[in-house]
Formats: sequence, C-alpha cells, structure tokens
Amino acid sequence: MNNQKAASAEKIYRIFIYVALVTLAISIIVPVGWVFLASIKQNKEFYGSPWSVPEGFYFQNFIDAFQKANMGTYMLNSVMVTALALLILLVVALPAAYVLARYTFRGSKFMNSLFKAGLFINVNYIVVPIFLMLLDGDNFFRTQLGDGFLLDNLFVLAVVYAATALPFTIYLLSSYFQSLPTTYEEAALVDGAGYFKTMISIMIPMARPSIIAVILFNFLAFWNEYIIALTLIPGPNKTLPVGLMNLMAAQKSAANYGQMYAGMVLVMLPTLILYMIVQKKLTQGMTLGGLKD
Amino acid sequence: MKKKLFLAGMSALLSLSLIACQSKNETSSGGETSEKKQTLEVAALESAYGKDMWTKIVDAYREVNPDVEIKLTADKNLEDVISPNMKAGNYPDVVLLATGRKMALTETLIKDKALEDLTDVLDKKVYGEEVPVKDKLVPGFTDTLATNPYNDGKTYMAPMFYSPTGLFYNAALFKEKGWEVPKTWDEMWALGDKAKAEGISLFTYPTTGYFDAFFYSLLLEAGGPEFYNKAMKYEDGIWKTPEAAKAFDIVGKLAKYTAPTTVANANDKDYTKNQQLILDNKALFMPNGTWVVGEMKDAPRAKNFEWGMTSLPALESGGDRYAFTFFEQMWIPAQAKNKDAAKDFLTFVYSDKAADIFAQSGAVQPIKGMSDKLSGENKLFYSIYDNGAKAGMGGFAATEAVEGVSMADTLFHTIDSIVTGDKTVKQWQDAVEKASDKLRAALK
Amino acid sequence: MSKTAAKRMFIFVCTVPSLILLTLFMIVPTIQVFRMSMYKWGGFSNNKEFVGFNNFKILWNDENFIRSLQNSIVLIVLVTIITMVVAILFASLLTRENMKGNSFFRIIFYIPNILSIVVIAGIFSAVYDPTTGLLNNILSLFHLDHLQKMWLGNQQIAIYSIGGALIWQAIGYYMVMYMSSMASIPESFYEASSLEGAGRIRQFFSITLPLIWHNIRTTLTFFIISTINLSFLLVQAMTGGGPDGATEVFLSYMYKQAYTNSSYGYGMAIGVVIFLFSFILSAVISQVTKRDVLEY
Repeated sequence: MNNQKAASAEKIYRIFIYVALVTLAISIIVPVGWVFLASIKQNKEFYGSPWSVPEGFYFQNFIDAFQKANMGTYMLNSVMVTALALLILLVVALPAAYVLARYTFRGSKFMNSLFKAGLFINVNYIVVPIFLMLLDGDNFFRTQLGDGFLLDNLFVLAVVYAATALPFTIYLLSSYFQSLPTTYEEAALVDGAGYFKTMISIMIPMARPSIIAVILFNFLAFWNEYIIALTLIPGPNKTLPVGLMNLMAAQKSAANYGQMYAGMVLVMLPTLILYMIVQKKLTQGMTLGGLKD
Repeated sequence: MKKKLFLAGMSALLSLSLIACQSKNETSSGGETSEKKQTLEVAALESAYGKDMWTKIVDAYREVNPDVEIKLTADKNLEDVISPNMKAGNYPDVVLLATGRKMALTETLIKDKALEDLTDVLDKKVYGEEVPVKDKLVPGFTDTLATNPYNDGKTYMAPMFYSPTGLFYNAALFKEKGWEVPKTWDEMWALGDKAKAEGISLFTYPTTGYFDAFFYSLLLEAGGPEFYNKAMKYEDGIWKTPEAAKAFDIVGKLAKYTAPTTVANANDKDYTKNQQLILDNKALFMPNGTWVVGEMKDAPRAKNFEWGMTSLPALESGGDRYAFTFFEQMWIPAQAKNKDAAKDFLTFVYSDKAADIFAQSGAVQPIKGMSDKLSGENKLFYSIYDNGAKAGMGGFAATEAVEGVSMADTLFHTIDSIVTGDKTVKQWQDAVEKASDKLRAALK
Repeated sequence: MSKTAAKRMFIFVCTVPSLILLTLFMIVPTIQVFRMSMYKWGGFSNNKEFVGFNNFKILWNDENFIRSLQNSIVLIVLVTIITMVVAILFASLLTRENMKGNSFFRIIFYIPNILSIVVIAGIFSAVYDPTTGLLNNILSLFHLDHLQKMWLGNQQIAIYSIGGALIWQAIGYYMVMYMSSMASIPESFYEASSLEGAGRIRQFFSITLPLIWHNIRTTLTFFIISTINLSFLLVQAMTGGGPDGATEVFLSYMYKQAYTNSSYGYGMAIGVVIFLFSFILSAVISQVTKRDVLEY
C-alpha cells in the first residue's frame, strides 16, 4: 500500500519534471528552428509575419553568403584565430592556475587579487587603448625594422583574445584545482616526480572536466567576438562575426535578410557541433579519474 | 630540458611574427614601382545607392588624372572602419559621410574643428571642365549650417547627394477613398478622424530619428527662416516662444493619432515594420526620405500601391509649407596628408561625368539642371519644390561637446515618450529649453 | 638544483607568461582608461584638456546616467536570481535523475548560449512583435488578450523584456557550469544518505547545494560581469536604448557618450564607474556568501 503510494508520487514527480524539461526545450527549439527556416527564405518573405513558413527552400542565400559576402574566407580566419587563441590560453593559463591554487609564495596573494580584478575589466572600454598601444608598437617597429606587424595580424588578435580571457579562465581553473584532493600530487612528489611532471601528468588530467568547460566557454567567446576583431583588423582579413556585421540591415538601404540569416546559421553551426561532441565528457571526467571512492 | 622548451616556444613566437613581418614587407615593396603615383584615400559611406557608383567614380578619375591612385574604402559601417585609424592619426583624404548619423563621427570632427576649410574649392574649376564649382551648384546649398557649421561664412563641408524629405503615403489609397492630401494641419486632423473610423491610423514614424527633418520643417512653418536660425543657434528662451510652442503642440497632437505599434518597433532593428504600415494601408503618413522606395522595394504591399510624397501641411491655409532637404556631405579632414589632391578630387565629383555616374545609381547632387534629368518616382519627389513647397536646410550649430547633453536625444527621442504618454508636451518643451541653455554656453 | 630553487623556478615559469599577457593587454589599457577619465577629449583631435575629477562630478548629476544605472541593477538582480534558480534546478535534475533523453535536453538547453547576440536579437524581436509576435499570439490563443503588451514599446516593461531574453540565453551556460561541478560530487555520498532515508529534496539541500557552494559563489561574480556585458550587446542589437532611454544600460550609455556625443573622456569616466561598481558589488556579495569550502 505504502509502496504503491510512493510509486504514484514518483510517477507524478517524473511527469512534472518532464513537463518542465519539455517546456523549456520547446521554448528553445522553436525560436532556433525559426532562425534555420529564416535562412532559407527569400528576401521578400521577411516583411510579413516573421512566423510564416518559408515558401520554398531558397538555398541561394548560402551560396550568396559564401560568394558575395566572402563568408568562406572569414570562416577560415575565425577558425584560425579561435584555435590559436585557445591554444595560447591553455598553455599560459593552466600552469598559472595550478600554481596559484596550490602554492603560496611571495606575491601569490597579490597575483590572485590581480587576476580577480581583471575579471571586472570590460573589453568594451579597453579596446581603444589596446589599439593605440599596438599602433605605437607598429610605429616603433616601422622606424626600427622598416615595417610594423602588430595590427592587421590574426596572430596578435589571438594573443589579445587569450590575454583578455585569462582572468576568467584562471579563476575557473584554479577554483577547480582547489577542490581537488592533494593526496595524489603529494604521493607523486614523494615518489620523486618533479614539479612539472606532477602537474602535467597528474593534475592536469584530473582537471579535465573543467578544462573542457573552459574550452567550450572560451571557444564561444572568441568565435562570437567582434568588437576587438573590428578594431584590431582594419584590413580585409576579417573574422566571421565582423563579416556578418556587413550583412546587417543598415538604415536607408535595402537589407538582405536572407543572406544575413544564412550567415547567422554559418556562425552558429560550428559551436553547435563542438558542443554536441564534448558535452558528454563534461560530466564523465570525474568518474574516470578514479575518484569514485 | 624545461628551459629548452621555453626557448623553443619563444623562437616559435618570434618566427611567427617574422613571417607576419615578411609578408607585409613583400606587399610594400611591390607597391614601390609606382612610386611617382600619389595615393589618395577616399572613404565613402555605402548607403542606399550602393557601392558600385564609387568604384565607377574611381575608374573615371583614373582616366582623367592618371597621376593619382585612389584607395577607396566604401562600407556600410564606415565609422567603425575608419575611426580607429583616425584616432591614431591616419586620416583618409576625402570622406563622404553625412551629419545626423547615429555614430555622429562628422559632428565629432566639427566639434573638434578638425575639418579643412573648403571655401576655396568652390572657386576652383571643376576638374577637367572650365566652370568653377560654385557656378554649377544650385544656389542656397552652401549657405546653411549644414555646410558652414560655424556660421562664419566659410564652407567646411561640400553638399553631395540630396533628397527632399516629407510625408510619404499611398497615393492609390487616397484616390480609392476619395480623400484629399491635407494642405493644412486642420485638414490633417479632420482626415485623421475620418481614417480612424475606417480603422486606419493617421501617422507613424520609422524611428524618432526621422523627426529631425520633420521638426525642422515645422519650426520653419511656425516662425520662418529667421526664427529657425535662432533656434538652431540655441538663442535664449527660443523654445518657450509661442512659435516653438505651436510646433511642440502639433507633435503632441500627432502623437494621439500615431499607430499604436509604432513605438514598439521604433528602433534600428524593427523600423521597417513601421514603414510597412504605410504599404499595408494601416497608417496614412510617415516622415521619410526618397531612399525609402529602394529600402522597401522587396516588401509586399497593398494592391495598386503607389508612393506619394507631400510637404508638411501649413499651419493655416495659405501659410508656408516646407519640405526639408536632406543631403550628405563630403569633407576633407584637417589632418589629411594630401589636401591639394583631395581638393582636386572634390571638384571632380561635380563634373558632368561624375554626376551622371552618381545619377545612374539614383544619387542626385545639387547641380543645376540635374533634376530635369530624373525619371520615374524620383521625378515626382524632386519636383516637390516646383509645387510651392519651400526648401529647408541646415541643422543645429556646432558646439563643443557637453558631457551628458544631446540635443538630438532631448528633442527627438522624447517623442516616443509623448506617444506612450510617459511625458507631457510641457515636460518635453522644458527639457529642450534646458538642453539648449547648456549647449549655448558651449557654442563655438 | 636544490629543491627550493627548483620550486621557485617552477613557480616562476608557470606564472610569468600569464602575468606578462595580463599586464600588457589588460592592466596597462585599464590604467589608460583611468587616465583618460580625467580629460575632456573628443576622441580625435590633439587638444586633450585635463579636468581632474570634473567628469565624475557631471556624472553624479546626469539623470540619464542614473537611469542607466538603475536599469543595469534591475537586470543584474533579476537575471541572477531567476537564471540561478532555474539553472541549478535543471542541472541537478539532469545529473541526478536518470531521465530518458538526458543528453538530448543537455544539448538543447545549451543552444541559446552558443547563439551570437545578433541571432538572439533577431529571435526576440520576432517573439516580442506587437502584432505578429509569438508571445502576444500565444496569449490570445489562451484568451488572455488583456495580458498582451507592447513588450518593447512600453517603457515600464521594455527593460524586463530585455531581461527575459538575457535569462533565456544564460540558463544553459550556468547549467553546464553547475553540472560540471555536481558531477564531481562522489556518488557514494548520495548512496549513504539514501540508506539513511533522505529524500531527493533533503539530498539536494544537504549534499548538492553545500558541495557546489563554492561554484555558486564563483558564478555570482560571472553573473554580474556577463549581465553588464551582454545586456549592452543585446540592447545595441535590439532597442538601441529606446524607447526614450528606457532600456539604456551602463555600457550603452558609455558608448553613446564616448562616441556619439564626442565626449570620450566622459565615456571613460563611466567605464571607470562600471569597473568599480562591478568590483565592489562582487566583493560585497562574496563576503556575504562566504562559507567554509567543503572538501570531500
């Protein structure tokens, strides 16, 4: 009797959860599906109700986005910058986060607060000073070497991305390192492993879930960023979001909505695929690390 | 071992930057062969007229003046593209960018006194022709604050593509219903009540930004040119005068006749939905410019739809009616490196050849006789002044920047609040006078 | 190499690259921003005039700035509370319960966060449209016509409409963050408490919540920072601060002053205020929520 009651309560609970989950899911699928549908609409269909079903499959939008709006090149640039920035970021941030989480040394407290303060710096107001600094650098190199190379350089853009993501990344990683037990590295150090070896072969693999989270979050940030890219790359080597800006409706001229939404789909597909690939690993990490007991 | 790794990383970094360095070097050495050629940097806003006309102009100029190589930057977001470099001291030589844009880059340079005096350009002969520039221009276009921002008789901005602005409507709807296009505001209100009975709103506007030409015309109708110029120069108490009050009251009344969904869509993203109201016969009039025809060319519309444009109704029958002239300006930054070449180019854009290229894309310059060459809807629009409407020109006088005070925000953005009833006309009027007081102190 | 020397070397090599990058691309530019906030400068010409703290004085009396401050605070509070509750709830459901379609929901919920802000603006202007919008049409479907609103046109509501879009896009992000930290809670804890007869709700409050408390505190800081940043991007793309300044936020007002109103120095003063505001707010919240870090 009691069991039955518990079972039916369980059932209601499950139904309730499913209703909540499905509602939220629908509220996401419908608008996002709408973007995909919009990307295959012809331009004239954009003036009526936004929820009308496309009259046909107008794939020309994507062809135009690639050919006329140069999205192919921009995409390649974006892939390069994002990958490079992630690489630099991880190489620089992982050791720093580990050391800050585990060791106290002279200045460690200061460094911690420095990175924490860095969290509150918003790129929107430091982008112009960064630009002016790089420009000064270019002018200097021009007198010394005959040419400057800091502006209009995708590699420099990647470095700036990595630098602006440092506070967030180090904060996230080091708070994760702090929550890991110290027993493993103590054992490794007693066994005679060096500091570098302990960090690289023991601690970093244990931090895998949060490393994946860091990659995911920063990938998004770098992939969608446009204010820095717009300022530091005045030349034709644009990134995808900056290219997308050019497709946007500008007042007093006819907008090309179809191309714009096709461009938007092109921007969001890679992130969607990346997330589908890594999302499982996010939660698997710890049980694999042998911490189950 | 570790040091080695570190070093390897460093050298990788260095080699990468070296590669970047090399590739740059190659391009610059490639350009050295044409050393004698002077490079002129031209930056132009890509507006409704498209980018093609600018590449054609560059080609045409190369033909007549092979000594100058033009580097063209044409972009929809021109401010974003050129302003970082300008901050760093790298200015384009010639810029086509109007005042009244959202980013207000041109206004910023006016405030900074960073424009080159172009008065002597007007006396120069048009490149490749024997006529001085000023003889080709339609009279009146270089007499206002829109070209002489400091009101000192010196021209700092050359008038380029102009278009009359006014109230746009569906001419077919008026024919069908047997309605007359109102000639006075009283007729306007009567029409508003008639339309309301049929479920049509009298008025809508794309965004409050479109009120600039509208409100300026209204001020001109209420007080005449002299009054208007005083207002534009922030004269003390001018916004409290009965003339100004008339203009405020008309907008206040118009707010009550405004289509209910207007404010919700009156932003840069959704403003076309308000323009769509005219095409769908849901609203009768909107303030706009000739570009709206091209802007909405793909949009669906009511049967037999036909664009019509009228100047603002007069305050009383027989009173003056105004249609404000909007025009884009071309200017030379004071810090441009090739000012003389830039001025030569500036005269060239007024040549017959250039004017034809521009006109093919629908861009009309204030050159004598140009309006006769127009066809189609444009002919109708540009003939508005032949039908008795007076032309208004020029905006507010330049001031130094005043932190936190913007006349455009106070005078135009507040209209959204008038329509929704969040502010009264009186509050609006007081705020404008207050802003005017603050800006007067900063007049140049 | 002696042990301490090796350790010192290790610490040095690990931290110096990050310090160099941080100093060069964040600290030095920020110092520049602080310096510029003391000048009257249009942004282009060479005449910069030192005005001391005058920009801050003007700021104090600038009604429009106060309004953007209020709007930003409303958004920070609203977005943080609602997003956090929903995200923690769904994160614990998706990690603790063995649901069918678990990974499906995980993917779906995260999608809003990967969309660029331009896409989100496009979506929500289609949702909020007064006549053809999804929201008003759903309301009329359920005969709730009296609840229909001008979501972006009504000055009392517009800022909450922006908030709704922000919450919609943020839930997935924080859900993933909480999930990754919940996943690190050993299963044995739950097994033990389950043997003691603790129900789901008890487990949630006595195990899940305390063990991810550190993570929650971390996210509070992120909420402040990202709401300030994203609300700006969304407002730029959607309403441009309108109608009549009703959705103006911190950074959009800074942009308006620094660029549109040719008051670059004044804009940078706003930037300084934003930096100090978010820094102090987060420090206060961090103090208030301080608990001992639980280890397991």
